[in-house]
Amino acid sequence: MYSDEVMDRYQNPVKNSKMEDYDIKIDEASTTCGDKIILYIKTDGERIKDMTWQGEGCILSIVSTDLFCENSVGKEINGIKEQDDLSFIESFPVKISPGRINCVMLPLRAFRRGTRQPGRE
Amino acid sequence: MINTYGNKDDFPIFNKRVNGKRIIYLDSTATTQKPRQVLDAIIGYYEGSNANVHRSVYKLADEATEVYERSRKNIGDFIGSRENEIVFTRNTTESLNLLSYTVGESLKKGDRILITSMEHHSNILPWMRLEERGVILDYVGLDEMGHLDLEDLKSKLKRETRIVSVAHQSNVLGTINPIEEIGKIAKDNGSIFIVDAAQSVPHMPFRIREEYDFVAFSGHKMLGPMGIGVLYGKYNLLEEMPPFNRGGEMIKDVDFHNAIFEDPPIKFEAGTPNVEGAVGLSAAVDYLKNIGMEEVRRHERYLTSITLKSLDGMKNVKYYGPRDPDERGGVIAFNVKDTTNLKKDLEGRNIKVDRLYHSHDIATFLDDRNVYVRSGHHCAEPLMRTLNITGTARASFYVYNGDDDVEAFISSLSEI
Repeated sequence: MYSDEVMDRYQNPVKNSKMEDYDIKIDEASTTCGDKIILYIKTDGERIKDMTWQGEGCILSIVSTDLFCENSVGKEINGIKEQDDLSFIESFPVKISPGRINCVMLPLRAFRRGTRQPGRE
Repeated sequence: MINTYGNKDDFPIFNKRVNGKRIIYLDSTATTQKPRQVLDAIIGYYEGSNANVHRSVYKLADEATEVYERSRKNIGDFIGSRENEIVFTRNTTESLNLLSYTVGESLKKGDRILITSMEHHSNILPWMRLEERGVILDYVGLDEMGHLDLEDLKSKLKRETRIVSVAHQSNVLGTINPIEEIGKIAKDNGSIFIVDAAQSVPHMPFRIREEYDFVAFSGHKMLGPMGIGVLYGKYNLLEEMPPFNRGGEMIKDVDFHNAIFEDPPIKFEAGTPNVEGAVGLSAAVDYLKNIGMEEVRRHERYLTSITLKSLDGMKNVKYYGPRDPDERGGVIAFNVKDTTNLKKDLEGRNIKVDRLYHSHDIATFLDDRNVYVRSGHHCAEPLMRTLNITGTARASFYVYNGDDDVEAFISSLSEI
């Protein structure tokens, strides 16, 4: 359906598993698309030690989520949150039409919402 | 009479090329493309007759009013109603909201409204708002093929059921509902009977019947412009109803604290109306009359029938709604099974998982081949819940579609 890189990751995701000893769990659902994704995050407070996901969604949201989990390991939480939407979309392996931006943005939006600290932002 | 179907010559948008290739437009259930005749009528109105209507006494204003009212009469004739029973609105949604805020306002705690599980949100949310005041909203269920369960309808029709509001044709399943029969059942119960005809007036012969108290439809789904819709209402009911919006045009007399409202239908058309929309819709009606609505229906039935036959031969495609093209309109909701999907089982082996591709992925795949279909829940989330799916892709036909479009659709779909 999409490029081999996207389809290969869709069929063989590397971070699609449940985490038992997570520090942060984020439930994200897009009611209009029916996507339901859970992010599990292990962190030392500043950096991501590990991140995995479970759920259902379209190919773009699943691949974006799997890539997001893998690419976030070792990075600072704030750095991940502050990356801009356009560069995040452009880093996705295939070109996205405007109607599908929400699919690719799903994990980053979930992460920003779920790691928001009380009293800030 | 327009002699060939699937004739795109009258529709300028089909000259458009995307990536050097023609577009295959299969989303007429969402909105239709516009023929040159409709575009010319709109430009002709502004170039030749434009002034505000129902206000001034000079010649141009008379002409604008005449053009506007002649459009109303033409649209009324098209469905077999008198012109003073045709209220212009923005669309079907506004027509149904008008009823919710007028007829609906007279409902009391414990009164009931009966709709169906296949309604578009526009025939759900205007009634759902009345639940806040203790009105009970009931839903008629469906059988496994997507027909309305009429026994369920009869059992849910109570003495307290004040309103029965039903889609003539489902915008997802394509099911054509027996509204004459349902109308009789509703009237025998003393209920007000409303027909959401957004997907039927554009696609089949439609005549107002005694059982129909109100009928709602949209101009843009029948070759007309966006922003013009119709509410047909029985005159005596329109007379009894309070106004919806208030302001200019809809009054006979106003003092500091009181107003006398105009007679229907003007009572419901506060403010400067969408005259270009009415003129465009009237031209669309002329275009459809020229083909003949029996022919429109026959043509769509043919396209639906050859498409379903091809889909039946595709093992990975599942479509929804009745199998018999006589029982459904030219709209086909479908999903594609993902036969490549692998998941690791407990022993770490790759196993095939039977699941559906997300409808957005199907639509994007077809979009890459210039085949334009809708995807998602089609503004019918309760129906999606009934079917236990999150969405479908949907292909739909109209007068300009032909064998060529069906072939492009099927051959693109078979590449998934």
